[in-house]
Amino acid sequence: MSSDGLYRILPLEGGLNIYSASENMGLLLHALAPETELELDLSALDEIDCAGLQLLIMAKHEAQRIGCDLRLTNHSPAVIEAFELSGLASFFGDPILIKPTSE
Amino acid sequence: MDMDEVLKVFIAESQELLQQMEEALLMLEHAPGDSDTINAIFRAAHTIKGSAGLFGLDAIVAFTHIAESVLDRVRSGELRFDAELTALFLQVRDHLGELVRLVDEGIDLSSLPAEVQPLHTQLGDCLSRYLPSTDSQSQLRATERIERGHEHGLSADHWHISLRFGPDTLRNGMDPLGLFRYLNTFGRIVSLVPVLDRMPAAAEMDPETCYLGFEVAFYSDADKATIDGAFEFVREDSLIRILPPHSKSDQYLELIRALPEEDMRLGEILMRCGTLTATELQEVLHTQVQSQQRAETRPIGQVLMEESLVQPPVIAAALQKQQQIKDNRNNENNLIRVDASKLDRLIDLVGELIIAGAGAQMTAQRCGHSEMQEATEVLSRLVEEVRDSALPLRMVQIGATFNRFQRVVRDVSREISKDIALSISGGETELDKTVVERITDPLTHLVRNAMDHGIEPADKRMANAKPAQGRVWLNAFHDAGSIVIEVGDDGGGLDPQRILAKARERGMLNEGQQLAEKDVFNLIFEPGFSTAEQVSNLSGRGVGMDVVKRNITALRGTIDLDSKLGQGTTVRIRLPLTLAIIDGFLVNVGQASYVIPLELVEECIELNSDEPFERGHLELRGQMLPVVRLRELFEDDSPRPRRESVVVVHQAGLRAGLVVDQLLGEFQTVIKPLSKVFSACPGLGGFTILGDGTVALILDIPSLLGQLTRVSEAPQRARIEA
Amino acid sequence: MNEAALETEKSTQQYLTFVLSGENYAVDSLSVREILEYTRFTPVPRMPATVRGAINLRGSVVPVIDLQARFGGSRTELNKRTCIIILDVPDEDRQQSLGVLVDAVSAVREIDPEEIQPAPAFGSHLRSEFITGVVRMGERFITLLALDQVLDLEALGKSANSEGS
Repeated sequence: MSSDGLYRILPLEGGLNIYSASENMGLLLHALAPETELELDLSALDEIDCAGLQLLIMAKHEAQRIGCDLRLTNHSPAVIEAFELSGLASFFGDPILIKPTSE
Repeated sequence: MDMDEVLKVFIAESQELLQQMEEALLMLEHAPGDSDTINAIFRAAHTIKGSAGLFGLDAIVAFTHIAESVLDRVRSGELRFDAELTALFLQVRDHLGELVRLVDEGIDLSSLPAEVQPLHTQLGDCLSRYLPSTDSQSQLRATERIERGHEHGLSADHWHISLRFGPDTLRNGMDPLGLFRYLNTFGRIVSLVPVLDRMPAAAEMDPETCYLGFEVAFYSDADKATIDGAFEFVREDSLIRILPPHSKSDQYLELIRALPEEDMRLGEILMRCGTLTATELQEVLHTQVQSQQRAETRPIGQVLMEESLVQPPVIAAALQKQQQIKDNRNNENNLIRVDASKLDRLIDLVGELIIAGAGAQMTAQRCGHSEMQEATEVLSRLVEEVRDSALPLRMVQIGATFNRFQRVVRDVSREISKDIALSISGGETELDKTVVERITDPLTHLVRNAMDHGIEPADKRMANAKPAQGRVWLNAFHDAGSIVIEVGDDGGGLDPQRILAKARERGMLNEGQQLAEKDVFNLIFEPGFSTAEQVSNLSGRGVGMDVVKRNITALRGTIDLDSKLGQGTTVRIRLPLTLAIIDGFLVNVGQASYVIPLELVEECIELNSDEPFERGHLELRGQMLPVVRLRELFEDDSPRPRRESVVVVHQAGLRAGLVVDQLLGEFQTVIKPLSKVFSACPGLGGFTILGDGTVALILDIPSLLGQLTRVSEAPQRARIEA
Repeated sequence: MNEAALETEKSTQQYLTFVLSGENYAVDSLSVREILEYTRFTPVPRMPATVRGAINLRGSVVPVIDLQARFGGSRTELNKRTCIIILDVPDEDRQQSLGVLVDAVSAVREIDPEEIQPAPAFGSHLRSEFITGVVRMGERFITLLALDQVLDLEALGKSANSEGS
């Protein structure tokens, strides 16, 4: 219960793709812990491909399995486009803010 | 599995589905247009139709088909579930129930029995009125199996592309996202569903291997070669299927078969893509089932089981959320259906095992062989575990029984023109299946009574500043090894004075006899209280209440009643959790052994023989405890030992002490059914068999407590003679 | 086996005869499950005289009925020859076993229906509905019992109600 209620934000930056997949997989698995909330900040992701999408799917599955509350936030335009193309937006289910330009 | 057994499964499932349908219909009355509920109704109808088709029950297939078509129009928003349609569907449900019952009785439905035919036709006509005329009035009378659309192509006007990318796709520098972007240059991806079934667990995942698949609905004027060309570079190790617009249903079937995922799940994905409509998918599946039957590769039983297991989620997929489907699927896959008599046999055997085990343990103790004793102890611990895991198998939630009353309340409230709502709580409370089966009749009686006589007419309610709508509720919860079921109403309540007057009139009370209010209310459960005479002058309660009480007593339960004049009445039924095996506490009086249910034992005290307890009371830590010698209660004239013990028992707020000779300790008690011969024996709850084979009596603590505390609370008052 | 023997086979019925306080009785042997040559049963308190107790019959608890008390007499005295006859009686859709206390079991006899005479209108100490008929055996009469009446479960249970303490 020590980590109960822990809230962490993990920003992903640059490209989440086949070239960085191994490295990011380690990062994600490390950040996922039971009884915690983990926010993946996607605002700085300027490239994502199917390898990157697979990693996010893996993270989602794993989070569910171990009881970690995983959220994807601040989807960058690249992420939004990839989600739309792949039909995965509803799989993740996180609210996607489109162009929060008014602020 | 033989055909009869499969048919039994069909009947049991249909009854369950019809029950769900009824519940859903009743829910619609409160939340018309709720799509989940409408889907539940559709699903039930659809599954029944599908299964009935497998048995060639064409009357059911044809009839349900029309109902389903109407439901389809509701789902698409062309029709609404108004009161009229709901009422019609309740009739449809009842009629289907009747047809299923006929099947159960082994009646051949190929020509309907004369007593159901008129209703069958009439309901069919009523339903058909909700359909566009082209959807054929005559379908009901068609005895041929419904087989539409096999020859012409299906409705989809887009290409359907199934993609399962090979593991090296990503490593080879291909990105499926790029392919989609390319497709969009010469057409439009109408919808796309990712297929993640091959995604491994995190530990097994290679981040560079591709696990993805997609089902794509693609609208384009391009020819097949062009579309094909888009996948040229991934073709080698990927699985790619492309179906042109308006393909035929068997082409879809072929597609479904060619893909690695489970058929039903694929069907669901195709629907989500918009490639197949629900109806088309059924057709495809129907084709599949038929061709399987023809090929006789699998026994029909298996086909049916799979059908009924997986079909509901297929249809559900069209409109329900993904997660719900997942939950459903998990539940369904984890459940197996077991013949109740097999379970009963198992429980009986466990009972025998416990008795035999107790015998072995006793013998071991007598021999004084320590290894033997240890071995029997291990054995009895295991037996106890077997018991603990076997007993819950028979437990079912009471919710399903409660829900049946939605219909009762709806129908009765119309019949007697009172606006009454039923609220249900504690539906998740579990109790023995046998008890559930036998509680329905008494509950029906109590609910009807509450509605007929408890709830006042609306004008009277208004005059008393109560809401016009009456409320009846059912509640259940666990309490000290019992399950308590409450039937309550916010009606007029009982008038103790009138009950007393009535009881005097019936000669049930002596002149001048006084009773506590609670006892007054409980008079209505006494036989002879109610008669066929006009009872409404007594707010009607009491009609057949003695029968209700008898039924409850037969289940080793108790019943009592609380009421406040003008505010309502609550009837409380207390039942044992199980009828089979309990933890008991064994005591001894003279030659006889008695078992007290362990959960009712609060403590045991040494009784100092010098300490007299006068007028049946003992002071325990400053409180007066009613006490009785079992020896005296049971008229045992064996000599009293010098030392005695008091077992303090409690239930439902009542406490009392039972004086016994010897405490023999905990004992796993297999309850043997009580013959009718003993049903009137006061204080006897049942029998059990001890390790040495002798029969011991299980004490009926609730009834003993009732006797003891009533007498002691008001020692000056005479006991009421039944 | 010749025709005549077959005929006899068909028409005669087997009865178990027993003695209870000097009187001879018989019950249809098809109802008899077994005879226990002992009387170790557990007494059940607060029951009317007709219900003596319960016995463990291979894991089932079977009530023990005092026939003599049922016939309106006193309770049967237990002695060395006292037996318990286990009889099957219908209880709704099932069979229920009951034990009855008798002074001694005599024999299984074949009785030709022709020999059965109607119950005497008077002179019997038994209620007429308990008797299906009587058979003469030499000097003695054997009373054939109507088990469905004698061992009517409702009645046995009810008498607990009216006579119970």
